[in-house]
Amino acid sequence: MIFETLLSQMPYLAHGLAIAIGLLVCLLSLGLVLGLVLAILEVYGHWTLRLVCVLFERVFRGIPAIVLLLLFYYGVTDYIEMGSFTAAVLALGLRSAAYQSQIFRGAFLSVPTGQMMAARAMGMNKLQAIREIIMPQALRMSIGPWTNEFSSELKATSLAYVIGVVELTRQAKYIISNTQGNILIVFGVVALMYFVVNRAGNWALYRLENRLALPGFEHRGDA
Amino acid sequence: MKSIFRKLAPAAAMLAMATMASTHAQAETLTAGVEAAFPPWAYVEDGKYKGIAIDAMRAIAKDQGLDVEFKDLPWPSLIPALVKGRIDLLVTGLNVTPERAKALDFTIPWWENDDEILVPKDSDKNLITAMCCGATVGAQGGATQYKWLEDNLASNDKVDMTLRGYEDYVTAIADMLAGRLDAVVTSTDTAEDFIAKGRPIKIAGTIQQNQPQALAVQKGDPKKLLGKINAGIMNIYKSGQWAEIVHRYAPQSTIRDIPTTMPSYVDTYQGDIPGYTK
Repeated sequence: MIFETLLSQMPYLAHGLAIAIGLLVCLLSLGLVLGLVLAILEVYGHWTLRLVCVLFERVFRGIPAIVLLLLFYYGVTDYIEMGSFTAAVLALGLRSAAYQSQIFRGAFLSVPTGQMMAARAMGMNKLQAIREIIMPQALRMSIGPWTNEFSSELKATSLAYVIGVVELTRQAKYIISNTQGNILIVFGVVALMYFVVNRAGNWALYRLENRLALPGFEHRGDA
Repeated sequence: MKSIFRKLAPAAAMLAMATMASTHAQAETLTAGVEAAFPPWAYVEDGKYKGIAIDAMRAIAKDQGLDVEFKDLPWPSLIPALVKGRIDLLVTGLNVTPERAKALDFTIPWWENDDEILVPKDSDKNLITAMCCGATVGAQGGATQYKWLEDNLASNDKVDMTLRGYEDYVTAIADMLAGRLDAVVTSTDTAEDFIAKGRPIKIAGTIQQNQPQALAVQKGDPKKLLGKINAGIMNIYKSGQWAEIVHRYAPQSTIRDIPTTMPSYVDTYQGDIPGYTK
């Protein structure tokens, strides 16, 4: 009986999953752009900029995701009008930017400093050297740790229902409350859906990493 | 460079107009907050909002020419969302209580509920043993049942009852069936819905509360909705539409006379009630 219900409700679960993935793509994109800027400023910026970036990163890494969601939906919306989805993208996206900045910062720092000096000696300015020499290497090295961020943010989207984003977890709750039970089966199916998306995303990212790897410059497992 | 701007200008103007149009439309559409995991009052089936509160709100909106859209939020978020003005109306099986009356303005009450003590079907606990002497009891956190149990039983050492709060009643019932609770206390409607849907539970006893339920708007009624909603409630009640909606979702329920009990602690029930004449 519950399996029939699950089958008939699958389109709505799929819709919930689509919302979750949409939220994930938006928040990761925001986090990627902002995280990269933060990382570059933290590594190469003036000390005042560095201070601002570190402060931002500490604040957003130090607050639980669910509290950030509530703060944005009930607090920030007093000043800027926005819906649930936008509030969720901002709250989780800014938090992701803080985490991603640390991934990129580590990658930038792992490029030997001699390369910057050599690039400058060849007549490049700082920005050119970062763009042409350091970043291509750093970004390649970031993909591995970035898969972690992908996984944890996918899971974090399941919190967005507290501010009214009807994503996969909320759709699952609808089925549970309609049938007044079946918690284990419904969440089992939902867990499988999250797991499949997670594996597929990680598989794609690892493929990308292998594809972009430069022969002789691999940093994995080199002894 | 100039030509790019010339090309973009009409697009930008259209975008600006579209944004203005959408904010204009928003001003006229009221947002009704619901907890769409609370049958028979509000739930989602096949991607659509259903339930007594949903259908009644639609009927009231049609009667009064209002444009209402629903927004689903988890129960603990609903009252804060109304207080903060994220929603204009609270539409669910909302109990009228003194604390809530300080934070919200209630419409005339359209329902009255008692509370039921639920135990597993095979439990040998009765209404006394399920509630005292080392019993662990569950209720929805922030619900009137939780507050009542806390004030009257859990805080009394002689009763020796442990109270646990849950985000919703489905998880409370599941926890009871898993053997971690002796009893769960819900409103009558919720209890009947659980039993109708085949959960292996039974009612061990009833706590008579004559608990009125109503819709709510923001304190001070800034959008002047109370008059319209009250008039709408009375119209659908008198036309028989209300009874039809209730019986669609809860066939066994008795229809109460509207308005039901109007407690003296609610300001909006004193003096002239907008949209309602005795």
